Amino acid sequence: MGVITELNPATKRKAAASALLISTEKLTLRVPVIKPHDRKLMANPSRILSDLYLSRNQRSFATLLDGVSFELRAGQRLGLIGHNGAGKSTLLRVLAGIYQPSSGKLIINGTTKGLFDISMGMQQQATGLENIYLRGFQMGLGLSQIRDLIPEVIEFAELGHDIEKPLATYSAGMGLRLAVAISTMIEPDILLLDEWIGAGDAEFAKKVKNRMMGLVEQSRGLVLATHNIDLMKGLCTHGMVLDNGHVQFIGEVEEALAWYAT
Amino acid sequence: MQRSAMLYIPLLTFLIRYRRTALGPLWLVIGPSLFIAVLGYLYAEIGAAPPEQFIPHLAVGLVTWTLIGEFTNKAPTVYQRGRANIMQGGMPLGDIVLIDAMTTVISFLHQLIIFIPVFLIYSIPLTAYSLVSILGCGLLIVNGILFTRIFGILGSRYRDLSEVIKAIMRIAFLATPIIWIPGGTGRGGVMEAFLNYNPFYHFLELVRAPLLGNPIELTSWLAVLGFTFVGLLSERVITNRYARYVPLWV
Repeated sequence: MGVITELNPATKRKAAASALLISTEKLTLRVPVIKPHDRKLMANPSRILSDLYLSRNQRSFATLLDGVSFELRAGQRLGLIGHNGAGKSTLLRVLAGIYQPSSGKLIINGTTKGLFDISMGMQQQATGLENIYLRGFQMGLGLSQIRDLIPEVIEFAELGHDIEKPLATYSAGMGLRLAVAISTMIEPDILLLDEWIGAGDAEFAKKVKNRMMGLVEQSRGLVLATHNIDLMKGLCTHGMVLDNGHVQFIGEVEEALAWYAT
Repeated sequence: MQRSAMLYIPLLTFLIRYRRTALGPLWLVIGPSLFIAVLGYLYAEIGAAPPEQFIPHLAVGLVTWTLIGEFTNKAPTVYQRGRANIMQGGMPLGDIVLIDAMTTVISFLHQLIIFIPVFLIYSIPLTAYSLVSILGCGLLIVNGILFTRIFGILGSRYRDLSEVIKAIMRIAFLATPIIWIPGGTGRGGVMEAFLNYNPFYHFLELVRAPLLGNPIELTSWLAVLGFTFVGLLSERVITNRYARYVPLWV
């Protein structure tokens, strides 16, 4: 979706009073991976049996991030760009505290909140309301906080009385609306976004866009991984080009995009 | 994470799991009750054991075993089942284990209902000594949590572990005096090895013996405390060394 281009100029100016939000130094993530020993599976069907029972696997190390150093100051919005598998999502997950880096330094002043796979963790047999509770607890909210947020979530998701029905009975659009409403119900301090969230029909997409812009405005900092160049140009102040876990370029967003284009 | 989540997530999980059943969590009680009634009748019929001795032994044993079995069987998959919570960020591994343990404990508390008719029918007196059983349950739960923390990490790396533990637990059920009573005054003879070298027996004894008014052997205390100690140590080591890989493994 080619949305989101303008920004409130007032918030861009806030960057002047710049407190350090995130600082990384030579951040590296190396993980052990197990891969099947033989790739000639199709050539020799008996491989299936020997792989299954003898499990001829090879253990090796993959370097997902290699010496990533950058700083994010208050008011700055960093866009990550790069090909699939370049390490954008991995970096976001490290910043969110899900993956622990194997070496390097990572300082985060504040709390990061990631919006990754927004539908993940929704239970099909549970009602919409129960899903709000489950996801709310998962986000670290208390019972009363969740109760206070519920009317707003239901209103935003436009579900009305359907909120009492199990998620399995929802249409795809309804489920997505609920997921968006839940995921965006709390205001982040430092927002980590893996691709922009856009969903539903034109009208709802507009609502989502407003909500997302609101989140971005409220947050002190943003790290966004995207393939959408227009979006990045409109939203971010800085850009980082990643390739194979290496930082190839980091700087002002225009320069980074220009570098990436070449 | 908020303290309230520790209670509400397991309760919601229960609510959702049993939503479309007519009897709901009562099924947790019906299954074992049937088992106890039929096996108790059978053993009385063939004269293997008098029901007033065997049925309370079987009831307490079976319910406690369900708690042990839930902990051990669910441990290797705890992080795989909690994958969404891990990958969304925000929920520490320790909390995922505690929520899982809480779910197990809630179903155990449900099954305690079985004790009421059994203890009434066979008029087993509850004394101050019976309260030791609560201590036994406490130690069992603490060890269950430690076991889950250790084997949750190992199990997310080695998926075989889940199968291994299932296989072991099936045999352990038979090797532990639940559907049989050790001869003599409680132990001895050819069964000695099945008792002394069976960790599950010691945990079971700490819960069952006080309830039935039997004395607890010193070896059982030592074994359970030893297990707790070793569990604490190895949990620290494994968590420090490997916990950071769990998000990559699940």
